[in-house]
Amino acid sequence: MFRKEGKKTTIAVIPLMLVFSLLLTGCWSNRDLADINIVAGLGLDRTKDGKVKLTVQVVEPSAILSGSSSTNSIGGGQPKPVFVESFEGETVFEATVNMLSVVDKKMYLNTAQVLILGENLLMHENLEEVLDFFHRDHEPDYEMNILVAKGSTPEEILEIETDMDSIPAVYINETVENTILRGTVKKTMLIDLIKIMGSSGIQPAVGQVTKAGERKVKAEGTAVFRDGKLVGWLDPEETRGYLFATDKIKSAVISVTTDKSKLAMEIIRAKGKIKVDFENNEPSALIVEVKAEANIGEYRGKGTLGMPESLQVLKKTLEEEIKKEITAAMEKAQRVYSSDIFGFGEYLHKYHPEYWKGVENNWNDIFSDLPVFIRLDANIMRTGIIKSPAGGSG
Amino acid sequence: MSGRIRKRTRKRILLTEPESLKYEIHGSIPGSVDAVKEQLNDIFSCCSDFIYREIMSGKDGQIRILVAYFNGFVDKRALNQDVVSPILKFLSETKLHEVSSIYERIRKSIVADNEITEVYEMQKAVDAIVSGEVILFTDGENRALAIGVKAPQGRQVEEPDTEISMRGPREGFVEDLLTNTTLIRKRIKNPNLKIEMMQIGRQTKTDVCICYIKGIANEEIVNEVRERLKKIDTDAILDTGIIEQYISDSRLSLFPTVGNTEKCDRLAGKLLEGRVAILCDGTSYVLTVPYLFVETIQTADDYYDHAYFATFMRLLRLVALLLSNMLPGMYVALVGFHHSVIPFRLMITLAASRQGVPFPPVAEAILMLLAFELMREAGVRMPRPIGQALSIVGAIVLGEASVAAGIASNLMVIIISITAICSFVVPSLVRASMLLRFVFLLAANFLGFLGIALVAVVVFAHLCRIRSFGIPYMAPFSPLTLPDLKDSFVMVPIWSMITRPGILRQEKSDGIKGTKRQEVSKGS
Repeated sequence: MFRKEGKKTTIAVIPLMLVFSLLLTGCWSNRDLADINIVAGLGLDRTKDGKVKLTVQVVEPSAILSGSSSTNSIGGGQPKPVFVESFEGETVFEATVNMLSVVDKKMYLNTAQVLILGENLLMHENLEEVLDFFHRDHEPDYEMNILVAKGSTPEEILEIETDMDSIPAVYINETVENTILRGTVKKTMLIDLIKIMGSSGIQPAVGQVTKAGERKVKAEGTAVFRDGKLVGWLDPEETRGYLFATDKIKSAVISVTTDKSKLAMEIIRAKGKIKVDFENNEPSALIVEVKAEANIGEYRGKGTLGMPESLQVLKKTLEEEIKKEITAAMEKAQRVYSSDIFGFGEYLHKYHPEYWKGVENNWNDIFSDLPVFIRLDANIMRTGIIKSPAGGSG
Repeated sequence: MSGRIRKRTRKRILLTEPESLKYEIHGSIPGSVDAVKEQLNDIFSCCSDFIYREIMSGKDGQIRILVAYFNGFVDKRALNQDVVSPILKFLSETKLHEVSSIYERIRKSIVADNEITEVYEMQKAVDAIVSGEVILFTDGENRALAIGVKAPQGRQVEEPDTEISMRGPREGFVEDLLTNTTLIRKRIKNPNLKIEMMQIGRQTKTDVCICYIKGIANEEIVNEVRERLKKIDTDAILDTGIIEQYISDSRLSLFPTVGNTEKCDRLAGKLLEGRVAILCDGTSYVLTVPYLFVETIQTADDYYDHAYFATFMRLLRLVALLLSNMLPGMYVALVGFHHSVIPFRLMITLAASRQGVPFPPVAEAILMLLAFELMREAGVRMPRPIGQALSIVGAIVLGEASVAAGIASNLMVIIISITAICSFVVPSLVRASMLLRFVFLLAANFLGFLGIALVAVVVFAHLCRIRSFGIPYMAPFSPLTLPDLKDSFVMVPIWSMITRPGILRQEKSDGIKGTKRQEVSKGS
């Protein structure tokens, strides 16, 4: 009887001990929100002596809330919503840790909205090496936008003060999102870059950001890489051509000028496809096929748009216009930078793996010499709610 | 089949009590009024409300009758009209030896009241007196008449404060057992509605009723209820709450396995589903067994309105139940561990509200929860007018001042308020979630969401393990009883609920179709 009781107690004690063993972990990695610095934007550049310079833009939450409600403000004067701090180190990780010698709380990188890379850094160092920390560490968000600063350092861009949003990093991020809808900047998230870096059939291309005045930034254009190094830029039109070809256009507005009128065409749907023509076990041509649907957003000129003939003409001009942009992008990529940012190599890798194995290492050179055929099929869907300009005779 | 109902074999240690506590009287009623008087004086010494009256009647005043009762219990007018006056009137011309038995005459043709029983032992007579009946002793007889001329006791039938319904009858049970059984009978006019009476409590001798509908209720459950009630050995049954603790299956569980209600229509519904009710004299709370988890989120109102609303409300109650348990824990886990799942803008808001608060989130949460529980408790105990003042103070102290003083973050105030509101949505689990909330909170503080998940697993495992009178607590979800899902978290319209809860019957005849209902109740 007593033995049985004893056994029962043992059985009861075992789960209890197991439960208590959980408590041995303590409050491990329990970090209060008030004890971390919420990083909104990150910048990475290279100093003259070859060190890495990390810039962080940190949010002051109470200042942001008091800024909007203007109560609860501590002390005199309006506290700044963010502070920007830079620190140098041999590696990025070292810089994030050593930065704690001058700031109060540990940096929390997961909230970073943008990572801005310096032109100087990318020209000297390999993109993969630069980004190693950001995908080795668990904290950075894989969905943060990556941009390359042109003409100014990341620090200068992160230090701008804008009236449009209390957090400049958010403002930068939002202009990027807007520009993506205009089709003139490439949205590159950390995860995209990691994927591209793992493949040899495509070269990275990253969105570009420049300072547009004291309190503004502009995110337009694309930075082109070859073998991990920054080699040059695409301007906004070329970027759009590049995005058309790689099926990344969500919407765009294309201006078309004919001899009689000026038009703004709104692309509502676009589908891009790239292929490589193969003949005698050799690639013979690069093919870009784009299908686009557009609405007429604005028409400045005489005459009506109601007739099928006039729409045919407009359709042709639109196709020409898109074709021009794609050609420009292809030209730059092939002739100037010799970098397959379109991913024709991936197509080969997929459909002609045998051939690909042989040329993998000098694909960019082969790519540069191939002829390009661009096939376009544009359609004009709607002309808006009026048929002809209001003053026109119809 | 009987194995599914767990038998209680635990032995209870009998209380040893001093001699003076017992009032066991042996022997039958003495034949002479004088002896009776002597005994009664002895038994009811120092009982100022005990009254007896000796009536001398008959032509020569030799017919001696003793009427004994407790003052206040008895309707004096009725006593005089139905008992005393007729005796005086009809026996005034009678001589003692003229009739064969004065007692028989009184019993059969004089006393006008209908509730008459005969008692032979002194013990029974005393029991009758203490339960409010009038005892009539006749000289020369070894028996007595117990006449139930009880005065109506207690309060009127009114709407219960604890279960307010928007729609549906407002009648609630009262403290008087007879009124309560009448209220049930009024709703279920059927001889199959059985009300079995027993007395529990050594000192209190409380009347306890088992109520069920024969043919609908599972006989096995009824037997089990009977058995468990018989095993109760205690001094006092002052409320059904005491019975509940004695008869529930898992006495140590946080979750109630015996339901209670104050509403007549609700009880009638439960009885018609095949549940067994336990009524107790002196309390307006009626127990229902078996009590399952789904019943915690069912209300009587659900059935009186369209099923869309009932379903929506039930899902809402379920969400409220989960929130009232886990919300503080989830908040602590979020701000302590899982920053990456918080959207950027929300994170800034959260961080801003946390800034300047001297305590870690868990301490803050415990402080606020304790403050709230204190306030709730004080609000319940306080006299009503003061309670109102308290709630104002509480709202200001908890809400405004603590934030302004920097003791608590304003988000925590919101979290605790939502938790508090949610906890009142499911009244029968208020106490269970009050404790579980702290468990979840501590687990979240140690292990984040993992801790919450671990505790949740343990709690759900426990819920699936316990039974109520042999019926699995989580039925109809575990074990899955598909037909019973019609009236669970989702409710189908009342006209399509054509079967009774199958899980309660345990037999294979789960699907009792509506057309067969009458047959079934007749047949068994």
